[in-house]
Amino acid sequence: MNKGYLCIVLHSHLPFVRHPEHENFLEEDWLFEAITETYIPLIDAFEKLMHDKVDFRVTMSLTPTLISMLSDPLLENRYRKHINRLIELAHKEVERTRWQPEFQHLAVTYLNNFCRSREIFERYHGNIVLAFKAFQDAGKIEVVTCAATHGFFPLMDTHRDSVRAQLRVAVSHYESVFGRKPQGIWLPECGYYPGQDELLREAGIKFFFTDAHGVLHGTPRPKYGVFAPVYCKSGVACFGRDLESSKQVWSSVEGYPGDHCYREFYRDIGFDLDFEYIKPYIHPDGIRINTGIKYFRITGSDEKQPYSPALAREKTAEHAGNFMFNRERQVEYLYGLMHKKPLIISPYDTELLGHWWYEGPMWLEYLFRKIHFDQKTIRLITPSEYLAENPRNQVVTPSMSSWGWKGYSEMWLQGPNDWIYRHLHKASERMSELARSYSETHPNGVLRRALNQALRELLLAQSSDWAFILGTGTHTSYAVKRTKEHILRFSRLYEDIRSNAIDESWLADIESKDNLFPEIDYRVHQ
Amino acid sequence: MAILRKIKNKIKAIKDRATKVKRGRSAVKRVTETKSRKKELLPESRFKNEILGAREVAVGTTKFSTPEIIKSSPRPMPQDLPGGYNENKIVLLVRDPWWMYTYWETTGELFEKLRHEYGDVVYHAKKVLRVYDVSHIKFNGRNAHSYYDIEIHPAATNWYINAQAAGRSWCVDLGLILADGRFITLLRSNVVLTPLDGPSLVTGEEEWMIPEEMFARLYGMGFGLGQSSPIGKAWQERVKRELFSGILASPGMASMASPTGAKKQLAKERKFWLIVNTELIVYGATEPDAKVKVQGKAIKLRPDGTFTLRFALPDGKQVIPVEANSADDIDYRVITPIVTRETK
Repeated sequence: MNKGYLCIVLHSHLPFVRHPEHENFLEEDWLFEAITETYIPLIDAFEKLMHDKVDFRVTMSLTPTLISMLSDPLLENRYRKHINRLIELAHKEVERTRWQPEFQHLAVTYLNNFCRSREIFERYHGNIVLAFKAFQDAGKIEVVTCAATHGFFPLMDTHRDSVRAQLRVAVSHYESVFGRKPQGIWLPECGYYPGQDELLREAGIKFFFTDAHGVLHGTPRPKYGVFAPVYCKSGVACFGRDLESSKQVWSSVEGYPGDHCYREFYRDIGFDLDFEYIKPYIHPDGIRINTGIKYFRITGSDEKQPYSPALAREKTAEHAGNFMFNRERQVEYLYGLMHKKPLIISPYDTELLGHWWYEGPMWLEYLFRKIHFDQKTIRLITPSEYLAENPRNQVVTPSMSSWGWKGYSEMWLQGPNDWIYRHLHKASERMSELARSYSETHPNGVLRRALNQALRELLLAQSSDWAFILGTGTHTSYAVKRTKEHILRFSRLYEDIRSNAIDESWLADIESKDNLFPEIDYRVHQ
Repeated sequence: MAILRKIKNKIKAIKDRATKVKRGRSAVKRVTETKSRKKELLPESRFKNEILGAREVAVGTTKFSTPEIIKSSPRPMPQDLPGGYNENKIVLLVRDPWWMYTYWETTGELFEKLRHEYGDVVYHAKKVLRVYDVSHIKFNGRNAHSYYDIEIHPAATNWYINAQAAGRSWCVDLGLILADGRFITLLRSNVVLTPLDGPSLVTGEEEWMIPEEMFARLYGMGFGLGQSSPIGKAWQERVKRELFSGILASPGMASMASPTGAKKQLAKERKFWLIVNTELIVYGATEPDAKVKVQGKAIKLRPDGTFTLRFALPDGKQVIPVEANSADDIDYRVITPIVTRETK
């Protein structure tokens, strides 16, 4: 008999970045790198687990913007180009390193990995969302949704129509992709403001997650801390994050990813090799970028040692064992304290695995294998399964919180980004006004298209990513551009609709650029 | 959050590019605008003229460009956001348990109206934010538990407000204090609730009674302090310190901040550096249909029969036989460069 549960949550998000107007767009690489280094290795790991009949559970959010990009034909084709160029580069690398066996075998490994990426990508006809759908249909993963464009809810609370729209668009998008309703949601940045659970209930969502202090500082005090979910007054369940298990993976000091056996992120041949040689594989303007081919391990000193996959694999297995051991001890201790099976919620940014921590997907695979074969104390579970088995929980109103810097809203509300809210809020107000004006008549043709596009532009402007980048204070030009661009497009649509002078060719142009959520209905914004 | 990491790698790249793109794009835009206008002007004649020649197009364009049609061409897109929206409005947002943020906008008409009512004194009045504690009540303007004023710069349009206590509800008036002490409300904000900065004092019904000690341990565990969590004031202080210094509350940030942290350290330590690597290029040519092997491994020739190979060159001696066989296997040539690298 197990004594507790472990719920691994992977939050997968990228903002909508798609620029058909440019042949090459640097920021689109965010998606391509994530596909090669994170999503495909995870798919590979899950497939292997299924093949070996290892039972596992993992909860994954796939944000609507990420799904939209992963199933966009233009970006799919650009990814094909991207991976083919990587394969070409890997071939050259195998040749170039002929007299350096310590590197050549790595070059061969990269070549094989890239070819495998392409093969998996093509197996799903370029749309790897289908892989995650299949894992969900097989009962191994629970896919939860997220706000339509990752809007940060605590700073939208004065304009709840927009929160509603973010939720409703996300839910109907999820249904169209996965053929069922989402049970849960990953609130963008874990941002929760008391009362917003009511909006989740309206959207048919049954649970969400907060950071530890969201539950621990809730009212009244949660009897079991973060080790059991609580119900909000609306009846929506809230799962609090366990920080101990999070720290083991996230922390830069004590976390696994900093181990000296693991691959060094900052030594990429895109920066290390001779310019003329690497030129065809970096940005056409000659800007050096990461290619994904990295030959060194972290080592711990300036003299980097060549990466050793065997050494790294051993360490990965050791860390998977260590993580499991710690959860077993944690669960046993809590079980004694609570007289009830504790639930450990361990959420991670999906891209932490693979993109940042190269060995991460393998670590997760090993962890699941060990949990399946080597112990009986903990059981992997999804929130839906947990609630089905444990329907009685305490009623607590969680505290406003986020998992960002300092735990609240400061990351998205400080000197460099506070100026955006005046404009975002005004746009929300105007969108509500439009939705009200045309809620009964529901016009056809170009007017309806303009109204729907207005909502798309508003949603895109609300992505928390722009405020986040602005908050970091450097290299902010792209975030400024996107914020302004979407608000300006929205404002113009608003004015054109109001003055009955819609410019159809311009509308068609921005429809083709900001083309996500084809089924959107502006009337959800009220 | 992973975005930050990626962006950090690309700081310079994006910066450089953004400026380039900006320049490039505005130029492109101008071109396409004129083009599309032409298209609208004379779809048929333009087509005809194109067959005839470029000069005719130019002439035709000037011939048909009338002011009326230019008027109907698309409005140019504004490049910047407006400074305001000509309205009277104040919005209050929560930053954390101790801070709120407010922004507002007032119109000239509002002041004009006040001037009619109170006279020119409104222009010399002190501008303040009056912060009301409205916890657990329906605020009607007079029933606040308490309030305090913050004098602000007359030209300010936003402000960070230090909340006097965590876990309370607040409402803010933008107002004027006249010389005689009278307070005039210009704008009233929405009500917000700041979060608690520690566990709730409400422990609920009897059946939900939580033994202090158990909660303390669970609380400590929740923050990853393990079994040795100190109990009582000390633990709470420690948890708070760790939580709000960002060590625990922002694991994402912490893990991303590490690379920068490391770099900063390096900078402090004066790390001058030099890296030298060598690569060798072997190139040549033969009949395009010949079969060529380098160090025993077959290579692919370009269509013109040339080839180029590039190798990382470590220290030591490399013997590189290049063998070529003619397509019919009758002719055979071998050339063997020998290269030695020595690093001193």
